[in-house]
Amino acid sequence: MKYQVRSPLASRFLGTTGRTVAYVVMGLFAAMTIYPILWLLLNSFKSTPDFRLDKIGLPPKWFPVNYAGAWTVGEFGKFIPNSLLYTAAGTLGVLFFAIIAGFAFAKIRSRATPVLYGSFVMGILLSIQSVMVPLFIEVNQLDLLLGALFQSLGIMKATSFHLFYNTRLGMILIYIGSGLPIAIYLSTEYIRGIPGALVEAARIDGASFFAIFRSVILPLTAPIATTIAILQVPAIWNEFALINIIISKNELKSLPLGIMRFDGTRMTDYGKIFAALVVGMMPMLAFYVVFRKQITKGVAGGALKG
Amino acid sequence: MELALRRRAEEQRAYWLFVSPAVILYALVLAFPIVVSILLSLSNYNGGLMFGGKPWSIVGLQQYGKLIHDPQFWLAFRNNIYIVLISAFGQVPLGFVFAYLIYRKIVKGGEFWQAILYAPNIISVVVLGLLWKMIVNSNGLLEDVLNRLYAHGFLGSLNHVFANGFVMSDDLVRQLIKIADPGALATFSDPFTDLKDFLAGYTPDQLSVLKSDLTNLLARRWSPEFMARPGVAMLPILFVFLWCWTGLYLIMFLANMQKIDKEIIEAARIDGAGEGQVLSRIVLPSLSGVIANAVILCIAGSLNSFTLIWAMTGGGPMNVTEVLSIYMYRTAVVSVNYPLSNAIAMSIVAFSLVLIALTKLVEKRWGGRE
Amino acid sequence: MKKILFFALVLALAVFLPMTATAQATPLKFLYYADATQAGYQEDMDEFIQKFKDDNPDIDLQVEILFSQAYHQKLGAYIASGQLPDVVYMWPTNRDSSLLLHSLKLVRDLKPLLGADFLKPFTASALNPNAQASKKLAELPQSFTYTTTVYVNKKLLADNGLTPPKTYAQMKAMVTKLKAKGVQTLLLPDGDQWPAQSCLFSTIAGRMVGDVFTDNLVAGKAKFTSPSFVAALTFYATLFKDGVIDKNNMTMGYGDGPGLLASGKAAMFVDGDWRVGAYLTDKSTGQALIPPDNQATDFVFINFPAIPNEKFPGVASGIAGVGLGITTAVKPGSDVEKAAVKLLKWYYGPEVQAMKLRTGAFIPTRTDVLNFEGLEPFNKMINDYKNTLKPSYVIDGVWHPDVFNVLNAGLQAIGLGSETPAGLAKKLQAAQDGLPK
Repeated sequence: MKYQVRSPLASRFLGTTGRTVAYVVMGLFAAMTIYPILWLLLNSFKSTPDFRLDKIGLPPKWFPVNYAGAWTVGEFGKFIPNSLLYTAAGTLGVLFFAIIAGFAFAKIRSRATPVLYGSFVMGILLSIQSVMVPLFIEVNQLDLLLGALFQSLGIMKATSFHLFYNTRLGMILIYIGSGLPIAIYLSTEYIRGIPGALVEAARIDGASFFAIFRSVILPLTAPIATTIAILQVPAIWNEFALINIIISKNELKSLPLGIMRFDGTRMTDYGKIFAALVVGMMPMLAFYVVFRKQITKGVAGGALKG
Repeated sequence: MELALRRRAEEQRAYWLFVSPAVILYALVLAFPIVVSILLSLSNYNGGLMFGGKPWSIVGLQQYGKLIHDPQFWLAFRNNIYIVLISAFGQVPLGFVFAYLIYRKIVKGGEFWQAILYAPNIISVVVLGLLWKMIVNSNGLLEDVLNRLYAHGFLGSLNHVFANGFVMSDDLVRQLIKIADPGALATFSDPFTDLKDFLAGYTPDQLSVLKSDLTNLLARRWSPEFMARPGVAMLPILFVFLWCWTGLYLIMFLANMQKIDKEIIEAARIDGAGEGQVLSRIVLPSLSGVIANAVILCIAGSLNSFTLIWAMTGGGPMNVTEVLSIYMYRTAVVSVNYPLSNAIAMSIVAFSLVLIALTKLVEKRWGGRE
Repeated sequence: MKKILFFALVLALAVFLPMTATAQATPLKFLYYADATQAGYQEDMDEFIQKFKDDNPDIDLQVEILFSQAYHQKLGAYIASGQLPDVVYMWPTNRDSSLLLHSLKLVRDLKPLLGADFLKPFTASALNPNAQASKKLAELPQSFTYTTTVYVNKKLLADNGLTPPKTYAQMKAMVTKLKAKGVQTLLLPDGDQWPAQSCLFSTIAGRMVGDVFTDNLVAGKAKFTSPSFVAALTFYATLFKDGVIDKNNMTMGYGDGPGLLASGKAAMFVDGDWRVGAYLTDKSTGQALIPPDNQATDFVFINFPAIPNEKFPGVASGIAGVGLGITTAVKPGSDVEKAAVKLLKWYYGPEVQAMKLRTGAFIPTRTDVLNFEGLEPFNKMINDYKNTLKPSYVIDGVWHPDVFNVLNAGLQAIGLGSETPAGLAKKLQAAQDGLPK
C-alpha cells in the first residue's frame, strides 16, 4: 500500500494541542466522577437539618449514626443477601441459557432461527416498564393454573399456591427472561465468529452437541460471558421497578427497595438517604474494582462482529 | 444416507433442546406481556379488573391518533432524539477518540483513564440527580456564582454614582434607575417615588450599608426561565449523558483496537503513513462493525432512558425535559391510563426500529471490510 | 448432563418447598403507606404494627409497606389482577391509586363497620362522608390538613421594623425592605409543580371564587375563562410581579424550603401544615432545624393575608386527610372482616393516635388524645392555628387530574413569566372539555 507523506499540520495537531485538549476533557470527566462520590461520602455523615442549612460544605458535626439508622430502617441485613442471590442466579441463568441458545442459533442450521433469533433481537427494544402490569397478572394466573392443576391431580390440598408470584424463583426467572434478548444477540454474534471448522471436526469425531458445547465452545466464550455479566450484574442489582411489582413479601425484597424507603417527598431524611446510597454503592464499587481487568478484556470480545 | 438423516435428527434435537428454555422464558416474561400491552394500547380498558371484570374491547388506533395530535408526545420525542444524537454523535465518537488516543499512546496513563472514565456507570443516578439539582436549580451553585458576579459588577457602577458620598437628590435617584436592572425595577409600581422613599430611610454615614442594600435590590439576578425552555433545558441532561457513558464506548473500542494485528500498523508506519492514515485506513475499517453495534446499543438505550432524567429533573420544569419513557410512566401511574401508556410504549419500539434500520443502512454503505 | 439434573433438582425443591400447611390464623393482607424518613416511622413499626401482631396471634397480619409511586403502582397492579388487599391506605379524594378505589367502588363504608360508639371522639369534619370522592366514609381521615400555612419568622421581620402582614397591601409593602437585605418575602418552592396549586392557589381560589363556584367548574356549569376565575389567576400572577414571590422559586426543589426559612434567607414560607415536622428535632441525631427554644419566640403561623376583592375572607384550603380503608375483598361476616375491623380499631384507638401526635406524624382527628404536654412548641402552635381556620377546597382533591395537572404546569409557567392568566384559563377549559363524559 502506498501512503502519502505525513503532512506537518496533521502531525502538529495530533501533537501538543490535541494532547492538551484531550487531557483537559478527560480530566474534566474524571473530576466530575470523583466529586460526586466524595460529596456523597461526606454528606452521609451530616444530620438532615445540617444538610438543609449547608449542602456543600463539610459536616459541622459528624453523625455515623446515620449508617446505623439506614441499615436498620432499610433492613439492609435482610435485603443485601436477597440482592446477592437475585444477581448471581439471574446472571448465571442468563449466561447459561443465552450461550447455549447462541450456540444453537449460530452453529446449527434450522429454519426456525430467523424467526426465533429475530424476535429476541426485537426484544432488545422493549422496556420492562411497559410490561410490568401484564406480567404481574400473568404470573398470578400461572400460579392459579398450576395450583388448580396440582389440586386436580391430588398432589396438593392447599389452595394458596405460590411457585412464581411472590417467590424468589419467580423473580429470578423474570430477571433471566428480561436479560435474554441482549445476551442472546451478543452471544450469537460472537459464536458466529468462532470458526465452524472446530465444530465440524468435533462432529466428525462423533461428539454429541452437548459435548461439543461443553468442551469446544464454552471455553472460548469467556470474553462474551464477561460482557454479558457486566451488563447484567449492575442491571439486576439496581433494579427496583419490576421487583416492586412482583414481590410483596418483605423477606424477599432486594436492596434497591430498601433504599427506596428513604424517599420522603414530605420530609426527606437526607442523612439516612445518603448513608443508604453509600451502602448501596459499595458492592457495585467492589465488583467494579475486582473485575476491572475482566471488563477490559470482556467488553471488547462481545462487540466484535463477523 | 441414513446416517445423514440420523445426524440431522440429532442436530435438530440438540437445537431445540438448547433454544427451548430461552424461548419459553422469553415468551413468558416478555413476549406474552408485550402482546397484552399491544392489545391494551388498542383498547378502552379503564382500570379495574383486567381479566374477568368489566369486559373491555379493542377499539382500534384511537390512542395512537391521540398521540399524533399530542404536542407533549412530540416534545418528548424531540427530547429523545436529542439524546440519541448526543449518544451517537457524542459518546460514540468521543469514546472512539479517547480510545484511539490511549491505544496509540498519544496520551499517557491509559489504565487510569480507562478506569476513571468508566466509573460514572457505578454511581447511583439518585446521587447524580441530587447533585445536579443542587448546581443548576434555584438556590444552587450556578445561581450563587452568577448572582455574585452580577452583584460585583453592579457594585462597581454604584461606586461611580456615589463617588462623592451619599447626597440625596432627584438626580441621584435618576442615576440609580439608569444603572438598575430592568427586571429588578419591574417590581416597583413607580420606580422614581419608591426609590426616593427608600433612600429617605438612610443617613449619609450609612453609605456602605446602603450600597449593599441597593445591590440586593437593583442588581441583575439569575433567573431560571432561561433554563426552563424546551430544548435548552435538555442541555444539562445531554451533558451528563455524555459524561456518563462515553467511558463504556471507550472501553469497547479500545479493547477491539487492541485486537488489531500490530504488524499491519508497523508496516504502514514504515511505509510512511501519517497518524491520520493509520486511523482512516486501518483502525476505522476494522472497527466499523463494532461502531455499528455501539450505535445500535446507543439507540436502544437512548429511547428507553428513564432513571437519569427522572432523577435530575423529573421531566420538568413544566414537563419540558420529559422523554417518551417518562411520559409513558406518567400516563400509567398518575393518570392510570393504561391504553395511552402502552401506545406510547409501542411508539418507542416503532421509533427504535426505524432508527436501527437507518443505522444498518448507513453501515452497509460505508462500512469497511474486517 | 449434570447441569440439567442440577437445575431439575432446584426446580423440584422450589416446587415442593413453598407448600406449607394451611395456617390456622386468619390471614389479613394490609397494604400500608409509610416513609422511613418521616417522623415516627420506627414507633409506627413497633407500637402500631408489631404490637398488633403480638396482641393478636390469631391474626396473620401480612403487611406490605410502600411509599409514593411504588405504592400507587403496586395497588394499581393489584386492582388490575383482582388481588385487592384487605386493608389499604388511601386518600379521601381521587388522588393516584385512590382514584380507582373510589370510582370502581372497591372500598366499603366504614360507618357501620366501626360503629357510632367508636366514632364518637372523632371530629365532624373527619366523619363527613361528602368530603370523600365516593360520598361515603371510605376511609377514616386520621387528620385534617390545611394545605396553606404561612410560616413567619417574626423575629426577622421585627429586626427590620416589620410585623406579620394581615393584608396583601402590607405584605407587598415589605418587599423592598426585605429584598434590600437579601431576604425573600414569601417562599414557595414549586420545583415539583404541585405546591403552587395545593398550598397557595387553592386558598386564593377559595377566597376569590369560593367552593360553590368550584363545584360548578368541575360539573361543567361554570367556565374557567369567566372573569372571576381569571381574576384569581391574575392575583396569583401579581404576587410575582410585585416581587412578593421570587420567580426563582419556580425551579426550586421542594426540600429546599425549610432550610431557607430557618437560616433567615426567607421571611415567610407557605406550605401545608404537615411541613412543621421538618423543623422538629430529628430523633436519631438530636438536631433540630429550628431549636425548640426558638420555636415559640421567633416564629408564628398565620393564614394568607386578606386578598383585595376577596369574596370569602379568612378561609384556607383544607382537606380531610388520609387513612385506612377496608376493601371489598373482605366479605361481610367473615373472619377476615373481624380481623380488619380489629386492625382499624387498634390503629384509630387512643394508644396509636396518641403515639402519632407524640412523634409529630400528624395531629389526629381523634379529639380525646390531644395532649401537647412535653411536645415541642410547634406542635401546639400548629394545632392552635388550625383551630382558627375555616376550610375551603384543595384543588387537587376536587378537580379531575387531567385538569389540575394543566393547572400545576401553568402556575409554574405564570411564575416564570411564560404564561398569562387568560392563556392558562383557556388551556384549563380545553382540558376540562376534553374529559371523557
